[in-house]
Amino acid sequence: MQQERKILVIDDEEVVLDSCTQVLSGPACKVLTAGNGEQGLRIVEEAEPDLVFLDLKMPGLSGMEVLERIRAKYPLMVVIVITGYATVGSAVEAMKKGAFDFLPKPFSPEELRLITRRGLEHRDLLVQTSALRREKELLRENFAAIVSHELKAPLAAIQQNLFALFTELEDKLTDSQKELCARLKSRLDDVLKLVNSWLRILSVDLNKLKETFKPVSVGTIISRAVETVQPHATRKNVVIQTQLPSELPRVMGDEGSLTEVLVNIINNAVKYSYPNSTVVVRAAAGANEISIAVTDTGVGIAKEDLPFIFQDFGRGKRQPEGATGYGIGLTISRRIIEVHGGSITVESEPGKGSTFTIHLPITLA
Amino acid sequence: MSDRKRLLIIDDDPEFVTGIKAILTRAKYEVDVAHNPKDGWTALKSKDYDLLLLDIMMGRGAEGVMIARKLNKDPKLRDLPVLIITGIREQIAFLFPGQAVHPHFVPVDELVEKPVEPKLLLEKVEALLKAAEERKAKAK
Repeated sequence: MQQERKILVIDDEEVVLDSCTQVLSGPACKVLTAGNGEQGLRIVEEAEPDLVFLDLKMPGLSGMEVLERIRAKYPLMVVIVITGYATVGSAVEAMKKGAFDFLPKPFSPEELRLITRRGLEHRDLLVQTSALRREKELLRENFAAIVSHELKAPLAAIQQNLFALFTELEDKLTDSQKELCARLKSRLDDVLKLVNSWLRILSVDLNKLKETFKPVSVGTIISRAVETVQPHATRKNVVIQTQLPSELPRVMGDEGSLTEVLVNIINNAVKYSYPNSTVVVRAAAGANEISIAVTDTGVGIAKEDLPFIFQDFGRGKRQPEGATGYGIGLTISRRIIEVHGGSITVESEPGKGSTFTIHLPITLA
Repeated sequence: MSDRKRLLIIDDDPEFVTGIKAILTRAKYEVDVAHNPKDGWTALKSKDYDLLLLDIMMGRGAEGVMIARKLNKDPKLRDLPVLIITGIREQIAFLFPGQAVHPHFVPVDELVEKPVEPKLLLEKVEALLKAAEERKAKAK
């Protein structure tokens, strides 16, 4: 069933209010009127109309001011401005401020009906989109909550009881029994880690990062990432070399997640390197972007694997001995970089090595 | 010190609780368990505890958070050290929108993630008990 529509007309000309009411009123449509901006805003608050016709030129609170206040508080409310003779300039300004359309005076009943229909259709679309977005949000949150409770909780309970059991038995177990226990624990750890990674991909809305973007120094994130990966490289006898120009422009972004991306990519480079080799991290600034390239001389990626390495849980066929991971790192990395308006590219030759390059737009500040 | 420290666990997952209870009992703590926030609150009001181990996600949502906040407002229980044991550290960000992703989003002393290694669990418990003793000594 179609709900009754509410349309508000704000205009200081009584004749406009009157004719709009006559033309638009009907069984499915209620027309409210206000003779000035203040009164209009009051009715907007009380009735929350679907559509507002707003005269730009009124004594007192100006139409532009009313428009701004409505847009700030009710983003789903559709506002159409009514403009006087040949005042296209102010109509354009109003559209820039978020008005859906404009209606020049004088207008015919037919024009009014047409623009009203379009405005209400737009309103429906806005409301539907917003409902869908909210539903998607809820689904994601619920899914994460379900996975966390139904999958993680039993695993955590098993692990916790094993811990208790091992503690009780500590001095009674033979070495080979201890070894079995250690294996049990480590496999369970792996599954728990997998569930956690899953949750991260599914539950964290990376777009939210945008709300807290700040200028980030590329040099800082590179050195921090190298520092993090250093122990892994030292264990494998791999040298990490950085080649940075003395000055690099900043990028707009989230320092933590950008560092995470670099850690991930440098870590991969070390993981797929042969011992006693070098991983090179280079940064360079172009006209519009900064590129950070990480090059290894390791196992490389087979051509047939290349299209899949950025997909969820995709891992190449050539795995060095003892390599662990679930193929989630690159997926998250790519998503993080895309949220920053950049991209990750890869060049690789099996047996010779790979270069992963992060491209980030330069901040215009 | 002669008398054993008394701990309360509030967690709605009985299987998980047997695991940590066994570890704590073995370490000579006296351990009571409540399997829901309501019983937990009753226990806190009727008996003196030295430390509370608190789960976050219970019942219909983050009811553990409500307990921690209630404790903080209670003049008698305000100083009770609380160790949060939760399975949702990573997800706290979206379960509590608008709040910083930080263990201190609720008024509790420490936070560990499920499952917790016995060594880490006992270290945290001991440290919290010791800090509480010191606070008490200073107050006198």
